[in-house]
Amino acid sequence: MKTINNSSKALLATMLTVLAMAFSTTTQADGHAKPGDFTRGANVWRDNCGRCHNIRDARELRDDQWYSTAFHMRMRGGLTGQETRDVIAFLTSSNKPARKPIITDAKAPTASSKASKLSGKAVYNQTCIACHGADGKGTLPGAPDFSSAKGPLSQTDDILVKHVTDGFQSPGSPMAMPAKGGNTALTDADIRAVVKYLRSFSK
Amino acid sequence: MNHSKKFIRHVLAIAISIALPTVASADAAYDALKQQVEMMQKQLAEMQKALEKQQVKVKEVEANTISRAEAKELEHHVNAASEWKDPNTLIHMSGYADIGYTDAQDEDGSFVVGAFAPIFHFQYKDMFMLESELEFEVEDDGETKVALEYLTIDWFVNDYVALVGGKFLSPLGQFRQNLHPSWINKLASAPPGFGHDGAAPVSEAGLQARGGFPLGNMRANYAVYIGNGPELVTEWNGTDFELDGIDAEGKGADRDGKKAWGGRFGLIPFAGLEFGISAATGKATVTSIEVTAGTAPALANEQARDYDVFGIDAAWQYKSFALRSEYVKSKIGRATTGASASDGGQWKSWYTQASYLFPTTKFEGVTRYTDFDSPQDARDQKQWAFGLNYLFASNVIGKITYELNDGQKGAIADDNRWLVQMAYGF
Repeated sequence: MKTINNSSKALLATMLTVLAMAFSTTTQADGHAKPGDFTRGANVWRDNCGRCHNIRDARELRDDQWYSTAFHMRMRGGLTGQETRDVIAFLTSSNKPARKPIITDAKAPTASSKASKLSGKAVYNQTCIACHGADGKGTLPGAPDFSSAKGPLSQTDDILVKHVTDGFQSPGSPMAMPAKGGNTALTDADIRAVVKYLRSFSK
Repeated sequence: MNHSKKFIRHVLAIAISIALPTVASADAAYDALKQQVEMMQKQLAEMQKALEKQQVKVKEVEANTISRAEAKELEHHVNAASEWKDPNTLIHMSGYADIGYTDAQDEDGSFVVGAFAPIFHFQYKDMFMLESELEFEVEDDGETKVALEYLTIDWFVNDYVALVGGKFLSPLGQFRQNLHPSWINKLASAPPGFGHDGAAPVSEAGLQARGGFPLGNMRANYAVYIGNGPELVTEWNGTDFELDGIDAEGKGADRDGKKAWGGRFGLIPFAGLEFGISAATGKATVTSIEVTAGTAPALANEQARDYDVFGIDAAWQYKSFALRSEYVKSKIGRATTGASASDGGQWKSWYTQASYLFPTTKFEGVTRYTDFDSPQDARDQKQWAFGLNYLFASNVIGKITYELNDGQKGAIADDNRWLVQMAYGF
């Protein structure tokens, strides 16, 4: 007669528990159950990807490629479904190139020329903080240190605004910051406001 | 004289009488002309005003109108944006490859074609994903070896559970399931004991449930599986059998009818730090013989032996510094019946690896210490490995690794090695 030892019983019980959990929860993953969130996705990207491998540049892949890659990494990295959707939201926003608008501001005034509705700190906390950190010293390898006035902040506002707008790869960094930090909703005024806020780190 | 004066007077009188009406007539014409000019000036001012208004309107129209060329470009972008926007099925290929040069202490240096490992993803909505990795390798004799590293169909049941069926990478520990691809492994070689024939299981064929979930302020991940389990290799040395190794790569059939169970639980107390504990148990049976001398007797009535695996792992990353460590032990019990009856054995290995990406450069320094212990003394190995990497990109890495190996004298495990490798993750 076949027997099952105690360790097998324990593992069997564990598997049954997991299966029960699988079919008891109502949070279904099909059909984009809950939309991803850019800011949360940036945190997921920062906190998880670098634990095993060098963080990949968002611009390496198209939206559909990031989609499958994120699900592959859900399996590898033990992400939840929501974390997967969040990181997809971040990556598919951050892989957009900085492109000159087809209809320029001179022709049709847009939100870009209006005053920023957000403070520089609010923009920073929404878009930049995941990689650059609450103290501006950077959380990822290669991220610049904003606490020193001799670093990137030694440059003029116009240059910094251009770097944020177009995206920029710091010397020695294995990857580039995406255009507008990946947040395509940022206006020119938002970017000027956040550049002004960056200078507060070096005071 | 008087006549002449009179004559002049008459002439003047006549001239004046003629001139006076003409002067009166000129004044009237002047006034009329003046009125006309004033009227024209007024009309001109009105026209200028109307023209200015028209110019403002024209500017407004221009500002809100795009040219044919711009419309054409917009049309192109709209068409491009709608292409592949939201298909039900996504097809994606990723993977990795590496090439290099190896120069061992007692062997001639050789260029080596490491591996080409394409990974295919076919995803149906957010529900299913087929994942498969092939591995192509060029062997020493030039033959190309192809292996199915894994093939699974993943069902994303909900946000916290995915069911995985097929042949999957062993979820025990970290190295085999997450770190072995050459663009991820920071050194040009795997730590001894964590390769294809060491202490750590490589893959399994079966069913697995895995996922992640929040745990208070922490996060956790898990994987539990049941599979066909490993098979055992025994060695015939001419006089008796000795357990040679565990073949822990997912089998297409369970030839001894004994399943193996296992899993891993990972805890992430805060971003950058992860602890994991792994275990597996089951039975394993000798199915093949490695003959080193003489003629081996045929296998018959082999006894299923106890099979147990235990492992712990940890990883910590702070900015450019990363530290990770892993321990695994696979233990096989004794067989008292069957042709290859022999003592059991255990294979265990641990490594600790530190790496640092030098600020504002693309150079990365790596060091790793490994201690691998097995029932075969010739395979035991203590290794210090030092590496210098250059990150052309996050996924394109040039590596120079030096292994300082300490094994049984005369054994391959004792040879120091230089390894140069170019790894590309795609």
